[in-house]
Amino acid sequence: MAVVVILPKQGQSVESCIITEIKKKKGDTVKKGDILFSYETDKASFEEESPTDGVVLECFYNDGDEVTVLLSMMVIGQPGEDFASFLGNSAPAAPAVEVAASASDATPIVEAAPVAPAAVVASAVKETASFVSPRAKNLAATEAIDAAQLAGSGPNGRVIEKDVQAVLEKRPKLTPLGKKIAAEEGIQPTSGSGLAGMAKSNDLVPLVNAVYNVDFEDKKLTNMRKLIAKAMHSSLQNSAQLTHHLGADARRMMELRKKIKKAMDAGTLTTNITLNDMVCFAVIKALKKFPNVNSHFLGENIRLFNKVHLGLAVDTDRGLMVPAVRNADDLSILGLANQLKEVAGACRKGAIAPELLSAEAATFTVSNLGAYGVEMFTPVINLPQSAILGVNTIVPRPKDLGDGVYAFVPYIGLSLTYDHRSLDGGEATRFLKQIAVEIENLELDIF
Amino acid sequence: MFDLMIIGGGPAGYVAAERAGHKGLNVVLFEKNKMGGVCLNEGCIPTKTLLYSAKTYENALHGDKYGVYGDNIRFDFGKIAARKDKVVRKLVAGVESKMKLHHVTVVKGEAVIQGRSPKGLEVTCNGESYLGANLLICTGSEAFVPPIPGIAEAGDIILTNREILALKEQPTSMVIIGGGVIGMEFASFYNSLGTKVTVVEMLPEILGGLDFEISAMLRDIYAKKGITYHLNAKVVKVEGTSVIFEKDGATESVSGEKILVSVGRRAVTKGFGLENLSVELTRGGIKVDEKMRTNVPGVYAAGDVTGFSLLAHTASREGEVVVNNLTGRTDVMRYDAIPGVVYTNPEVAGVGLTEEVAKAKGIAYKVAKLPMAYAGRFVAENEGGSGLCKVLIGEKYGEVLGVHMLGNPCSEMIYGACMAIEQEMTLAEMQEVVFPHPTVSEIFKETIFAF
Repeated sequence: MAVVVILPKQGQSVESCIITEIKKKKGDTVKKGDILFSYETDKASFEEESPTDGVVLECFYNDGDEVTVLLSMMVIGQPGEDFASFLGNSAPAAPAVEVAASASDATPIVEAAPVAPAAVVASAVKETASFVSPRAKNLAATEAIDAAQLAGSGPNGRVIEKDVQAVLEKRPKLTPLGKKIAAEEGIQPTSGSGLAGMAKSNDLVPLVNAVYNVDFEDKKLTNMRKLIAKAMHSSLQNSAQLTHHLGADARRMMELRKKIKKAMDAGTLTTNITLNDMVCFAVIKALKKFPNVNSHFLGENIRLFNKVHLGLAVDTDRGLMVPAVRNADDLSILGLANQLKEVAGACRKGAIAPELLSAEAATFTVSNLGAYGVEMFTPVINLPQSAILGVNTIVPRPKDLGDGVYAFVPYIGLSLTYDHRSLDGGEATRFLKQIAVEIENLELDIF
Repeated sequence: MFDLMIIGGGPAGYVAAERAGHKGLNVVLFEKNKMGGVCLNEGCIPTKTLLYSAKTYENALHGDKYGVYGDNIRFDFGKIAARKDKVVRKLVAGVESKMKLHHVTVVKGEAVIQGRSPKGLEVTCNGESYLGANLLICTGSEAFVPPIPGIAEAGDIILTNREILALKEQPTSMVIIGGGVIGMEFASFYNSLGTKVTVVEMLPEILGGLDFEISAMLRDIYAKKGITYHLNAKVVKVEGTSVIFEKDGATESVSGEKILVSVGRRAVTKGFGLENLSVELTRGGIKVDEKMRTNVPGVYAAGDVTGFSLLAHTASREGEVVVNNLTGRTDVMRYDAIPGVVYTNPEVAGVGLTEEVAKAKGIAYKVAKLPMAYAGRFVAENEGGSGLCKVLIGEKYGEVLGVHMLGNPCSEMIYGACMAIEQEMTLAEMQEVVFPHPTVSEIFKETIFAF
């Protein structure tokens, strides 16, 4: 009895996934538990195991395809088994991308399974190429223009002589040698450096360097890159964000850090508490005092949260991820340190629960570039959150210690980007100052 | 306030002035000497006038080959020189009238660049100050006399192109240091008149940069006419009328009544305030881009002062590029179709790549060559003469890459090859061009069909 393997829906908001690798191809024998294919959502990657022993009778998609969740990926059964009945003849032969829009609710497997793979459909569309009139064809051939690529203005979109002439008017006159090379290599000049602006053969090859060939590579964006790009761009376009910078005296934190190291060496402390953990701890305390910052700006209203769900920007091989530590205000410093380590680790392994990655999962985000020596930056808000804190490196700064005594004191830089639609400068500054106060007066109950 | 100020009235300066004036620009041109520059006064024109006298004399001497006999054939050196001066005067006057026709203000005197003021670029001349929006530097070049021991002491035995043109009497013997274009043209002239000529060249072949095979053929022709050559010869000393040189490890000596030094030319970049503008120089001259712009905005250079392609026709075209860009027509200088001509008898003319350059640059080419005798007209007019036409085309597409000829009157027909190269014509187009029959130019067509 053949089994249909569907693409699982990972998390409520996931509508489609990218197939990263098909590991078992059509005809391969599989055992229960073998990895059939791997796929990635916007922020995490997964592998799908075979539910049964058998042979891959059919595989509907290829590496790199974007597939709507809950669609059939593979059919596994015994060789020669008829599995057509599983697929259902009612399913429309539509490319997966088109289905994606309507498939957000769980569609029954059998109905949604495409009979024909997307590639076949795509090539069928391409075959309806435009018709080129003989006169247009002749002129295009002598002038080294690919007439089939032109948008025709004749009846039924036919490419006629006038269309080729229109291209010629825009193009500089081409030398005989230029025409030969243009026809052979399918390139057109954009400017002419020859007689009276005539395009010469060397005007045809501006993109190709003789030594390095093309000096760039067009790489398709990963799904994750696309999502980051979209989120970041939309954040800057759709909010009124600006950044305040302020320094906090880091002597207290550094003293605690020393104590922690000592305690760890002595074995009385097993969890390493980093500077970032301490900053996050201070931030949570400050957030409890400024509920307006711990919010989502939703256009018509502002959602103020009773709990702090702290987002942490994590740099991974696949790009930026921002997992949330839920109910972070309930945690002790040890609990917070452990949870932050756990979510960051899960992101790097690609094993984070997708729901923790959505921007809605966190109420406020911390992005720490201090370890890289960054002295000041303007983090971008993870909308709909109202603010994000950038944590910078520690630099020595002169400080008045009283009685005209000045000394260099270590300061940690804090960069708060806030959405001016949610918060005003005064409140944002007071909040930022509060973080500094919390950092400067940090108490940890671990010693 | 002038739209364009030009320093130097040679083929770069006066042509630029003429074109700019024609397009309605307000132009001032400074010339410290005579209009026309080296080309008109000490180069192209006077030498060609002299060479035509020599050619006429030679034709008369050898008329018997054509069944024409003359008795008591002789020449008058003074008259030859006087006619040369007359031709130069006439052409200088012609340039001056062109300047008037195009409303160019010509200032005779030494111009000095003062720098840039808030009102514009400033040049002074004869105590007056001139302001302009743009400045074109066409100060040209001068003969380079290398510091060979004894050369200064030799006094007026030593000649450059300037002094040799002012000679009142024909020397009985002459040593020419440097067998380039200038050296070979004077060698040709004096050889025709019967002066004993010796050419000392440092390189393995005369006419460096031209097609090697054709240069060797020309050398053979003149060796038969009586010129002595010393190739691979490095001049180490001059002792009065003697030139001492090293060749293959041995020291040899030749002497002549006069010694012509024609080893090269140097761009003139000093003495006119160029340093007041901080214009960037290369080893050879003023650094320019493909639009003849220097590093200083509004300041351009054209002609020999750029230090490369030291030819009058290059200079004129460079001047035109400047004017075109100033008057709203985008134009760039191209050097791949600049013809080179040696006005010996027979003439040498070439344009584009030589086999030597193509090989050095790793350009895949095919070559075809035919003796000039394939053109009927050449046979009719050159009894016992030989010549060569060589055409280089691209291996893949058959575009004309270079054309090189030896034989009269190739100087007059090389421009056809220039047009072919400028337009990147290939064999297919060339084969459809109709050449007049019977002309020597048909050799180009014949060679095209030899592929």
